[in-house]
Amino acid sequence: MNSAAVVSLPPAKYSRSLFRPTTVLVEDEASDYPLVESIVGRLPNAEVVVVKRPTSADLVRLSQEFSPLTTLFLARHRGRFLKACPGTAETYRCCLYQILHLGLGCNIGCSYCVLQGYLNNPFITQFVNLDDAFAELDRELARPGTFYRIGTGEFTDSLFMDPLTGLATLLLDYFGRCQNAVLELKTKSVAISALLDYPGEIGETIVSWSLNAPRICAKEEGHAAAIEERLTAAALCRQRGYRIGLHFDPLLDFPGWEDEYRQTVASIFAHLKGDDIIWISIGAFRFMPQVKDVLKENHPQTNITAGEFIRGLDGKQRYFSTIRRRLYRFLVTEIRRYAPNVFIYFCMEDQYLWQDTFGRAPADNQELGHWLDKCCYRYMRLKGTEAEGAK
Amino acid sequence: MNNVRTDHCFLADIDFADRTFPFSYGALPARLEKSIATAGLLQPPLLVAGKNGFRIVCGWRRLEVLRKLADESGEDEILVNLAKNISLQELFRRALWENLAIREFNLVETADIYCAALKIFTLDEVEKKIMPALKIPLRPRFRGRCQAISGFSQELRDLLAAGSVDAETVDLIKEWSADERSALIDLVTESGLRRNKLREVVGRLDDLARRDQISPFELLADVRQAALDEAGNIDVELLRRQLKARLYPQLTAAHLEFVARQEKFPWLKPFRLDPPPDFEGGDYRLNFTFTDSKEWEEICAQLNAVALEDIDELCRRS
Ligand code: SF4
Repeated sequence: MNSAAVVSLPPAKYSRSLFRPTTVLVEDEASDYPLVESIVGRLPNAEVVVVKRPTSADLVRLSQEFSPLTTLFLARHRGRFLKACPGTAETYRCCLYQILHLGLGCNIGCSYCVLQGYLNNPFITQFVNLDDAFAELDRELARPGTFYRIGTGEFTDSLFMDPLTGLATLLLDYFGRCQNAVLELKTKSVAISALLDYPGEIGETIVSWSLNAPRICAKEEGHAAAIEERLTAAALCRQRGYRIGLHFDPLLDFPGWEDEYRQTVASIFAHLKGDDIIWISIGAFRFMPQVKDVLKENHPQTNITAGEFIRGLDGKQRYFSTIRRRLYRFLVTEIRRYAPNVFIYFCMEDQYLWQDTFGRAPADNQELGHWLDKCCYRYMRLKGTEAEGAK
Repeated sequence: MNNVRTDHCFLADIDFADRTFPFSYGALPARLEKSIATAGLLQPPLLVAGKNGFRIVCGWRRLEVLRKLADESGEDEILVNLAKNISLQELFRRALWENLAIREFNLVETADIYCAALKIFTLDEVEKKIMPALKIPLRPRFRGRCQAISGFSQELRDLLAAGSVDAETVDLIKEWSADERSALIDLVTESGLRRNKLREVVGRLDDLARRDQISPFELLADVRQAALDEAGNIDVELLRRQLKARLYPQLTAAHLEFVARQEKFPWLKPFRLDPPPDFEGGDYRLNFTFTDSKEWEEICAQLNAVALEDIDELCRRS
């Protein structure tokens, strides 16, 4: 196996926020939170506008006055911060991930982004009442005998504007001392300077990158970092001691996909060793039917929805199973050539394809969740938990 | 109403071609014709003086009926309300709300009203007042839809107004060239494709065109040819199957393979075996009928005799 060959990028790249708003809308009830002050302090030239707590209709109206492309909305979150991953129904296997809901939206602009169909708030939104979030975490994580895998990258990218929010540092402060939870930060950016420079214990934090074929990255992933850049950043994070997660999601079927994905897999192992990687997830492209129109409207050039899509058991459009099987078998074989023991799992896939690809299938979501938990135990000394290797 | 007086006018003095107030488009409702033919005009239309005669602000459909009746009766003097010293914007607003109070606009009317409003009002007024009234969401897709409809050929607009083509189909064909759209209209006219099936056909044409990077025109010519029956007419079901097979080659192959696989098992003859929809998930369904306990027993005996390997083979995914 190759040893990590880290080619460093100019450091400025790692400390640059992908989002540089020129306007900050601050909800009146949120204006006293320290996070507001620190974000606004990092944007000395931005216009700051305080608005009354907006309704959905107000948000639409505000989006005509302030372009969502250049406006950040700072708000107080009133609901639960910790949520189960939306895919927890038993139709397809879900890993029972928990989402720490600290923000909404992202400006990377992937054509396939599911958020296009989800969000009725047009603004990239950062919740600023972090004390409420941490208090909720304290209460939830106090439950004895429960282990949590928690991520912040479900309704946003975990790091794309981290140099602006400084959130990663605050999360490391919390999860660094956490005994029964791991934090996974998922990104397509390379805004990792806070992670590299973090002075304290990083705990068991996982930094993950979504990966795809180079052509998909160039055509469909807006201004996400190039694959090589992501992997270079991953190698740097690994050097700093973070575990690295990789996510091939969405896996796409397009002419020449084999060569393209083969290239990405080769790049991974030019930067990382199999042991550096805690898990690799794979999920073939899927989308809610109504996203198709929005996607075509926002990205008229893309043709990613023009394939053999059928209606899945969860109501989402997904590739016909023969196509998924071909994609999975190829990718898993390629990865195994470099890293026979790395833990690979499917995100939202059925028993049949699990069995077909891996020769085994989790009986239910609990079991899949348990497999992932075991990956974490392997590297952790969790209180009261016996370390056990993931198969 | 201030500045409005009731007066007589001749139908010949009305500028029916003027579309400053484009609140009506499409076939005249039979009920309206009957009502006017029986009871006459109960509510006079609202007109305003224009360059080429009186412009119709409100009541285009009533006037069209009267024009039709006048062809038979020769009676062309009618009672109307004439507006004077009222701004174009105010007249537009009144007409919009008067129409909205009594009916829904069809797609062509909605599009024409939106486009006409853009010429009369500021963008801000259109977005804040007119678009919400017309229930047009403030997104580019819906504005683009309206603008496209306004520029469509009369044939296509007639189909839209009649409800034979829906909004989703418009979104798909709005980027097509005029020739492509006219080929589609020919197809609709020839084949009698109805609204929902048309949307499905156009959706598949659009997907195929984008996937294979070819023009919908070429595709249309291709599938049309392949869907002709022996008499040279377009067979709608054949057309749909052709498109599905092209867009879903692997799914189609899987279905054919499944049908062929069943042939290997003669014991299946009295039953109907349905695979899971699109072979997704694992639930196969076996259908059979029976009329009494004897038949039931026979069926159970047949099923009990089936080798389990046969079941595995039948449920194997291709
Ligand atoms: S990075 Fe993630 S959240 Fe951002 S646009 Fe892409 S898919 Fe959406």
